[in-house]
Amino acid sequence: MKRAWRAPPRRKTIAPVHSSTIKLPYYQAVSTPTLPPSNDARCGSLACVGMGMTLGSHLTPLARSHIEQADVVFAALSDGIVELWLQRMHPDVRSLQPYYAEGKSRMVTYRQWVDLMMTEVRAGKNVCGVFYGHPGIFAWSPHKAIEMARAEGFKAHMEPGISAEDCLYADLGIDPGRFGCQHFEASQLLFYERRIDPAGYLVLWQVGLVGDLSLKRFSTGPAYRQALVDVLSADYPLDHEVIVYRGATLPIQKPRVRRMALRDLPGAELTAEETVVLPPGTPLKQNRAMRERLATLDKEASIA
Amino acid sequence: MSDTIELLEAIGQNATLRHASVDELAPILEQAKASAALKSAVAAGDSSLLSEEFGHKPNRAPQISNAPGHEEDEPDHDGDDKPPHPSDPGHSPPHKRTPHEQ
Repeated sequence: MKRAWRAPPRRKTIAPVHSSTIKLPYYQAVSTPTLPPSNDARCGSLACVGMGMTLGSHLTPLARSHIEQADVVFAALSDGIVELWLQRMHPDVRSLQPYYAEGKSRMVTYRQWVDLMMTEVRAGKNVCGVFYGHPGIFAWSPHKAIEMARAEGFKAHMEPGISAEDCLYADLGIDPGRFGCQHFEASQLLFYERRIDPAGYLVLWQVGLVGDLSLKRFSTGPAYRQALVDVLSADYPLDHEVIVYRGATLPIQKPRVRRMALRDLPGAELTAEETVVLPPGTPLKQNRAMRERLATLDKEASIA
Repeated sequence: MSDTIELLEAIGQNATLRHASVDELAPILEQAKASAALKSAVAAGDSSLLSEEFGHKPNRAPQISNAPGHEEDEPDHDGDDKPPHPSDPGHSPPHKRTPHEQ
């Protein structure tokens, strides 16, 4: 069946409502004394919002409203075309992408992002930082900028978005509540001693640049992934199946899902955007002592 | 020719179009007078072909190249790798240092 294409409806924009123009219901208007203007929050504000993962599909109405009502918008997005879409929503969108550079520490870049946003907040502007996916997941700058803005007395807010993690659960059919699910930035397993629970799912982010202590590279190589496999092999057999996943950022894309044995991970081509999932490697083990204790409690409460 | 960004937004917002096969989407794009770049990207299942229309726009993926395991790089970090305390989302008072922070 042919379906005619229709352009998305133009959204009605509503001017921001100022508190002085709100007419209160009588019971509040009568009993609530008029409050003097608050000096708690300084002029200027910051909202960090998530764009979601897929163009057109995930942006929430509230995140869009933050974007449309801002004086200036900063953008750190996964795809240049998504950035073009954002530019349709606001006349002053400033890309944060040019601050990345090969050989430059990403921490330097992220601090620059914070400085850029805070400079405008301190100038009295209502600033919106737009980050792909969820603005608070694997994103240092939004958390830092909000913390800094609040510390200086400005209003600051984080608005969640649909994250890569959310898409992963949907596309791979994983319920993190079934066996439990651990998430790590992959390098943490190399830099720190962490305890992996192989009875649950293990999700590893940024495997493509695992082991990069310099923060200056956007990929590492097979030898670094071999070090990761060596760590994982303490809890999983080398023939354990792993899933390499990448979600769709454009609505004409499909999720990319590859399955391979753990031992083959070092030799696989892996981009920074791909995530590695290890399904459970051992069955859940019953805690018999605790079950007996609970049974005793139930008996005492007469609900057994 | 239709605006490609608007077409992508329409596809992303439509349950039928978002999950349509190439064969289902092709005549719809034809009817909508989609750009040659968009039609070939859909036909080939290769979104990089959109670069013919928009130029090559490689973006770093900020969310996943931002490493929380490396926060000792922060100058104000004490180096003990202690987990940070989340801030209070409810209000925005001027920051007061706690005894632990001093």
